[in-house]
Amino acid sequence: MAYTGKVLRVNLSTGKAETEALNDKWAKEYLGGKGLSIKYLYEELEPGIDPLSEKNKLVLMTGPITGTIVPNSGKLAVAAKSPATGTILDCSIGGHFAPQLKYAGYDAVIIEGKSNIPVYLFIDDDRVELRSAADMWGKGAHETEHMISDRLGEVVTMAIGQAGENLLPMSCISTELYRQAGRGGIGAVMGSKNLKAVSVRGSKGLKAPDIRKLSAALNKIKKEDTLTEDNMWAYSDGTPMIVDLSQQTGILPTRNFQEGTFDEFEKVNSEAVKAVTKAKKACFACPLACGKYVETGTTRVEGPEYETIALCSSNCGISDLEAVLEFNRLCDDYCLDTISAGNTIAFAMEMTEKGIHDFGIRFGDVEKFLQMPELMSNKEGVGADLSQGVSYLADKYGGKEFAMQVKKLEIPGYEARGSWSMGLAYGTADRGACHLRAWPAAVEAFGDIDPFTIEGKAELVIDMQNDNSVKFSAIFCDFWALSTERMAEILSLILEREVTAEELTTIGDRVYCLARLFNEREGFTRKDDGLPERIHKDELTTGATKGKLLPKDEYDKMLSEYYKIRGWDEDGKVTADKKAALNL
Amino acid sequence: MKALFFHAEKCIGCKLCHLACTAQNEGEFNPRLARLKITSHYNREGLVVKGQTCDLCLSCVEACPVDAIVEKNGRLSFVEELCTDCALCVDICPNDVIVKKEKGIGVCVQCRSCTNWCPTEALTFEEVSK
Repeated sequence: MAYTGKVLRVNLSTGKAETEALNDKWAKEYLGGKGLSIKYLYEELEPGIDPLSEKNKLVLMTGPITGTIVPNSGKLAVAAKSPATGTILDCSIGGHFAPQLKYAGYDAVIIEGKSNIPVYLFIDDDRVELRSAADMWGKGAHETEHMISDRLGEVVTMAIGQAGENLLPMSCISTELYRQAGRGGIGAVMGSKNLKAVSVRGSKGLKAPDIRKLSAALNKIKKEDTLTEDNMWAYSDGTPMIVDLSQQTGILPTRNFQEGTFDEFEKVNSEAVKAVTKAKKACFACPLACGKYVETGTTRVEGPEYETIALCSSNCGISDLEAVLEFNRLCDDYCLDTISAGNTIAFAMEMTEKGIHDFGIRFGDVEKFLQMPELMSNKEGVGADLSQGVSYLADKYGGKEFAMQVKKLEIPGYEARGSWSMGLAYGTADRGACHLRAWPAAVEAFGDIDPFTIEGKAELVIDMQNDNSVKFSAIFCDFWALSTERMAEILSLILEREVTAEELTTIGDRVYCLARLFNEREGFTRKDDGLPERIHKDELTTGATKGKLLPKDEYDKMLSEYYKIRGWDEDGKVTADKKAALNL
Repeated sequence: MKALFFHAEKCIGCKLCHLACTAQNEGEFNPRLARLKITSHYNREGLVVKGQTCDLCLSCVEACPVDAIVEKNGRLSFVEELCTDCALCVDICPNDVIVKKEKGIGVCVQCRSCTNWCPTEALTFEEVSK
């Protein structure tokens, strides 16, 4: 039940698809999802390859709980070397793709090479086909999904839009229109392979020895530990709930991170989104249904998520909810990561307003804002520059000190000057500035821990990174705030052996250190773990974070402590002792 | 007589009902074999939520030429030994919720696994008004 034991390997250059046995030893050491996909890539990718060349590989990886009745088990890891950062890149995508892949009989798909014509991959149990996507190329992900459904009937599809075809470093992959593998340009990896979509349908069940008893035990866990106050925010509000929290604590990125509060936040907060919400939508096996399907007179979309609101509303000075919703829909269709897109547009707005370079767009300019997804995705006009992200823009036109990125990945929706541990989380995230490797804002800025001290922050971030590495490897959705002990209890039931919380913490540490080793092999060191100068030098001017910075020397101390606790050297390299301890 | 009812406005499309049904009745997690059909997906016009459940219309009982599907006290049961695999019941079911298996069929036996798992009470057992 936990593993099908089979990996499907598809070579787009030769058109061959073959199955092979899953590496059992690796599955034990890395579980699945994030961990196992990184292990495969670490072993199989040559160092130094161009992420957009045919030498890169795209791994779709399920986990041991995928396809079972374990709550919140519907996610899939999608991994490759990142076109945006050159680091390892694993994304987590919801919807219903992952269980279908498992029911088709595969733990994973590894896609290699490059097709010479646009194709989509269709996996129908043992039948695996590459079909022409000639008539889909140039279309958005949404129409692509519809066209495939018209042809194949009930299948689940992951597709790219024009941003992926045009190899944007901020292009994502969409499934069920509004769920994304969002960051690091994962969509461009598909685009570079001429792979427009992957569709799957599976009919094979997952058997367990005493499945009724197992289901009863899991239903009890669902009632006692999933459908609780800690998690039900996802059902009642979804991530827009965070808008008010960020506003109150002064960490809502506003006008390209110049401020931490947005005067018009009430126009785009959870209450505003609820007023136009028509239905709640869940991923497979998820009782929490964080997805909010929204309809207004002018648009319909599942969203917006908090990150979209933070980066595309407050950070761009846009308070028109209808515009944010439409921007969200356009990004999902073209397959633009809303975090990177919003962050980049905000940078261009500040550059224009400061007179450094005229991108023709200013804070709050709704009309221009709504033109950007198309211009960027098709690399037209000003969009050609913007499509390459903030790091590229800063190299070309200046403004590096307020280009809000780490390792060339744009910073998400939590102001590090008001949540110092978030700064460390961004700096040490394996794929560049990311809030999903660790989200300490939850217990620090939004909780009881003092946000303006480095005390205890290294340990806090490491614990969260290890825990999330297990979550994303199993794969549990991170919106279920379950303990490591609870994960161990569930994995013991699924793997039919005793799994301890200690074992899982070690796996989490191993996964995180392997990701670091991948990056180390690509030349990343301490120098790449720094934050943009603005965070150290520009005091915030409003709200609860007025006058706050994250001083560089404090950040450096926190980083050194982090390395020490991790078992990495002062330059951020994984030490030989650490490698030995983790069997790396 | 009570039967299964579906309330589309409450459904989140999680498929836990399908999983619970097949775990209980087929010994595996396999949404395709579920004895109900709940779908929630986006088409070009927007979100479409649909549910098909057994409403105890008894068309299958009447259609079965060998009495392999029996209704007793408002519950269906299936007698595999009698079944000739003609699949007439599968064809005739107006709600398309009888599952054709390699050998025999699966009908909703009101085990209530689906209602027990549904997190939003989108599935309920209620009195059938006839």
